[in-house]
Amino acid sequence: MSIRGKAAIAGVGLSNKVGRVPGVSPLALSAQACMAAIEDAGIDKTEIDGVMSTHCFSADFHRYSIAISEYLGIQPTFSTNIQVSGGTSAAALNQAAAAINAGLAEVILFTIGDSMLTGMTPDMALRAMSESRDQQYEMPFGIPASNTFAMTCARHMHVYGTTRAQLSEVAVTFRNHALNTPGAQMTEPITHDDVANSKLVSTPYRKLDCALISDGGVAWIMTTPERAKSMRKKPIYILGGGECYTQEHIFLMEDLTVTGGVTSSRLAYDMAGVKPSDFDVAGIYDCFTGTVVLCVEDLGFCKKGEGGPFIADGNLTYGGAIPTNTHGGLLSFAHIGNGGSTLHFIEVVRQLRGECGDRQVAGAELGLFHSLGGGLSSIATTVIGTEATL
Amino acid sequence: MTKGTEPTIRGKTAIVGIGQSKKVGRVPGVSPLALAAEAANAALADAGMEKTEIDAVISTHAMSTSFHRFSVAFSEYWGIVPTYSNNVQVSGATGAATLNEAAAAINAGYAKNVLVVIGDSLLTGMTPDMALRSMTESRDQQYEMPFGIPVANTFAMTAHRHMKEYGTTREHFAHVAVTQRKHAIATPGAQMTEEITIDDVLNSKVVTTPYHKLDCALISDGGAAFIITSAERAKDCPKKPIYLLGAGECFTHEHIFLMPDITTTGGVTSSRLAYEMAGVKPSDFDVAGIYDCFTGTVVMMVEDLGFCKKGEGGPFIADGNMTYGGAIPANTHGGLLSYAHIGNGGSYFHAQEVVRQLRGECGPRQVEGAELGLYHALGAGFACAGTTVLGTEATL
Amino acid sequence: MSSSAIDPFAKPLPSPDPDSQPLWDGFREGKLLLQHCADCGNVQYYHEFFCRNCQSENLEEREASGRGKVHSFSVVYRAPGPAFKGDTPYAVVLVELEEGPRMISSMIDTDPNDIDFETDVVFTTEKINDDISLPRFRLA
Repeated sequence: MSIRGKAAIAGVGLSNKVGRVPGVSPLALSAQACMAAIEDAGIDKTEIDGVMSTHCFSADFHRYSIAISEYLGIQPTFSTNIQVSGGTSAAALNQAAAAINAGLAEVILFTIGDSMLTGMTPDMALRAMSESRDQQYEMPFGIPASNTFAMTCARHMHVYGTTRAQLSEVAVTFRNHALNTPGAQMTEPITHDDVANSKLVSTPYRKLDCALISDGGVAWIMTTPERAKSMRKKPIYILGGGECYTQEHIFLMEDLTVTGGVTSSRLAYDMAGVKPSDFDVAGIYDCFTGTVVLCVEDLGFCKKGEGGPFIADGNLTYGGAIPTNTHGGLLSFAHIGNGGSTLHFIEVVRQLRGECGDRQVAGAELGLFHSLGGGLSSIATTVIGTEATL
Repeated sequence: MTKGTEPTIRGKTAIVGIGQSKKVGRVPGVSPLALAAEAANAALADAGMEKTEIDAVISTHAMSTSFHRFSVAFSEYWGIVPTYSNNVQVSGATGAATLNEAAAAINAGYAKNVLVVIGDSLLTGMTPDMALRSMTESRDQQYEMPFGIPVANTFAMTAHRHMKEYGTTREHFAHVAVTQRKHAIATPGAQMTEEITIDDVLNSKVVTTPYHKLDCALISDGGAAFIITSAERAKDCPKKPIYLLGAGECFTHEHIFLMPDITTTGGVTSSRLAYEMAGVKPSDFDVAGIYDCFTGTVVMMVEDLGFCKKGEGGPFIADGNMTYGGAIPANTHGGLLSYAHIGNGGSYFHAQEVVRQLRGECGPRQVEGAELGLYHALGAGFACAGTTVLGTEATL
Repeated sequence: MSSSAIDPFAKPLPSPDPDSQPLWDGFREGKLLLQHCADCGNVQYYHEFFCRNCQSENLEEREASGRGKVHSFSVVYRAPGPAFKGDTPYAVVLVELEEGPRMISSMIDTDPNDIDFETDVVFTTEKINDDISLPRFRLA
């Protein structure tokens, strides 16, 4: 029994603006994205019977999904708030497909909005810092968000010879993608030298190796294939999903250069009946440049240790093996907190629908979405595709 | 909406293991993770499984810790690498929502053997900072907290209104407390062991009107765990499988001032959906676990769950209907009021007690011939409601 | 971690967000502001960026009459933390405003024993600091 093809994305939406958006509350950002997704699907809000969300850093809600339901004026009969940090975006897709398949809901809205750039009080900012760091074993040592990820990258460079230039290639590639994407937070081109000379954050990471901090809201609507076919847009089917939670603390990560993505992707590919070379387009969590290097290996696009050269050869962009983060990613489009990579997912959906205009990957039918977080503790993968892939 | 029609998860999954921490109640010196691990080990043994067979872990927020992902912290602590995990957060309804999620995940092929687990030290393990933060649990920092609202307050207002509209009395509420205390006294390990009378409840210290201390749930330390698997796998487990037959939820509001009718909850809808999926009606149930954060909550729930008409919950309970010999023996372990309340996972113990009743494991407190059980969880000032119908093989 | 500790003796004050800033500005001026939807007639408490009912952004802000009735209440004897201990007993009220919406607040200058269901109350404010005044109610 699997959910392959049993659920489909019928609508996607973003807040009116993403990036630096002062003066708009997290709920309002979310609501804008929800209304955009509702319109994209061509439904009425009353048709939504399930609402899913996650943790919001810039507001004190314990149950964001309920707060946004009230704000939108709906009363769902299925709701949950998922919390596996950055892995949430893909985990939410997996769970929504399961819920629809189980008959717990028929039309599920997932949304999150967050004002991480302009809306954080000092107290919230401090609390957010404990996100991937333990208050006993890590925080007392003054560990910034980048630090544990930085250590995995440093190790990868040490063991496999990954270079500064290869890391920079990730940043430059995604910046180029963002330049082509209306609404991206970053609009200035950058060069390898710009990345290598940007301010040091935590070695080996420099400012341009690190994801943005942004305000914004995202939403998607998932439903049964039957309902999706009656809605406005070409349905994009959930074909497979997998997850893997290897450890809580970085010091218990078995091999700092290998993530749970090996397992999560394998499970997702098995369920979908695909292999890495089948994919036309991908959204890969790019909290840091080095993380992408590890991911392309763990996702099976190249051998362990060869991620750097693979990327330097142009394989993450048009004409390469796996055009990735064609909107610019967390590095150049926006990063809005727990649901940050939902932006990647929305981009992959748009690619598969053929809606990307100048940045369209021609003939894209099969998409990969990979999200991770919590200092590489939480990893989740989802495979999606058009009707042709069923 | 097509809820209640095929395909559903009716009968596709079963609870095969239940466990608690060695002690529940006042348990200083044992960390939340350790409490959770004790419970998980007990559930594993109960299920006759090996730890390596557990491929999914579902948890929730542990209020006395600063973990953002308790399920992942637990997985590391216990020494497994799950390929499905989540931390559910719909406050008190979490227990029911979690069972629903586990069933969906198994049914979808994401997981085979799900461990549901939590540990929390609300009584002895909260720093002042954590305790204060937990108070925002069902209160908004702008529109409610500045007015000094204790946890009980919004629930108290609904009970107060119920008294006004239906003539429910404090004595009616007290019957809930007295009944459940009797149940707890018959249950080994319950936090409360002293008998109480109606007068004791009425005379206990006032908290926030109309609620007095004995109208309110306990604050406890403890751990709870379940193991849930497919109906097929359940056949190989040592204990009688208890099947998940129906599931329903309802989320009516976030703020109490947007609750449409403050004496009627989303439980009306969540139970109806669960009953439809299971193909049962209220009079079919043999035993129930009903979230009892406060006495008045139970009065409202017996109405919303369909055991009596709206407004008649007080007399229904005073007539002995939530205990042995009555219409629906409920919270036979003592509930949040007298057994223990360990936070977001507080009602896990209710579900476990229902499972024990259905398995016939309750000894002197057994409800004879119990085959069909109801589990209802709620929270956040009635914002969240979740209902699960559980049953033995005979009910499939 | 200690730098993020909450002072247990300080009463929690609201942190307005971009939606609610006008509401709190209104309280500071002694006004209770409700949003009225020009498209569907819905009246709402708390401020949102659109109408909760029909999602229109065509919202007008109007000062409420301030009159309401106690829909329910609960008198607090056991305070939620040291900050409110000195105030007990105090009545927290769920007021149904004349215009329709309900809100949570607490009574000021009122003996809690004088509060009952459907009691007529009237809105007022209490200045806490230069930024924040809290909405309160007194007997009509």
